[in-house]
Amino acid sequence: MATKTNTIERNGHSAKSSTLREICARAITKSEWEDKEEFLDVIYWSRQVFGIFLGVIWGIVPLKGFLGLVLFAGISCGIVYLYAINFQNVDEDAYGGVWELIKEGFMTSFAGFLVTWIIFYTGLHYDAIMAAKGS
Amino acid sequence: MWSDTILIVFISVCTAFLGEGLTWVMVYRTEKYQKLKTEVEKQSKKLERRKEIHGDSLDKAVKKKIERDEEKLKNNNRDLSLVKMKTMFATGFAFTALLSMFNSIFDGRVVAQLPFTPISWIQGLSHRNLSGDDYTDCSFIFLYILCTMSIRQNIQKLLGFAPSRAASKQGVGLFGPAPGQFK
Repeated sequence: MATKTNTIERNGHSAKSSTLREICARAITKSEWEDKEEFLDVIYWSRQVFGIFLGVIWGIVPLKGFLGLVLFAGISCGIVYLYAINFQNVDEDAYGGVWELIKEGFMTSFAGFLVTWIIFYTGLHYDAIMAAKGS
Repeated sequence: MWSDTILIVFISVCTAFLGEGLTWVMVYRTEKYQKLKTEVEKQSKKLERRKEIHGDSLDKAVKKKIERDEEKLKNNNRDLSLVKMKTMFATGFAFTALLSMFNSIFDGRVVAQLPFTPISWIQGLSHRNLSGDDYTDCSFIFLYILCTMSIRQNIQKLLGFAPSRAASKQGVGLFGPAPGQFK
């Protein structure tokens, strides 16, 4: 709902605005994106969800150390690049270069990823971590 | 160990909503702010379009027009920042008091275990007020800052209070000198 309202506000006219369901349907199929903001919103929100999802996985596994951070950054940026350029075939120049697409929502999703990684890692493996520290 | 971390996430969600709620009451809903915001967004988009079309143009008249628009945008942004300034100070004080209260509650307590060892200049934050030199111990403040970074910005975006991308791209912000820096 909020996405719809935002789109209406940004476009200035409601005729072009899409509902959340329409946007989701377009996001999972190859589509034309007339409204750049809409496509950037899709990238932003999917990245947040993906960051939290990866955080949970990393915490359950558990992945440790610098490797976890590098893997997250690599996978997150790689998937956004492949999704935008190869799957949706968007013109990167229209968005100010591929870098603009890659960094869209990165820091926020990185923070979300760290929080879920730390919480799940601590919650699920606390006894094992303490035992390892004690020995 | 779940209880501490979940409590911190909860605190962070509450303070984010409280902060946004206060700002909404004092700033976002005022007519002056809304008028200025609409103006800034309209001008940013216009400027962006104009720069795209005449990007490499050497025409002096066009350049002058762009400069004039930039100046106008800068003035409007300054007005917008001024509108927000007072509230920012008020909420700033309130949150500093809240934060010091939570800090004293969690003082010296290891709230989580980090799955990585932070780099040295972050260790001061992640190991704040903790004894020992095991840097995988996580302090309240580090987890709280991470939660806030993620939750507050998402809430702002969800509620439509975040500055538009067009306005951020022009390098002038509604919330500070460089709005894109935390993205």
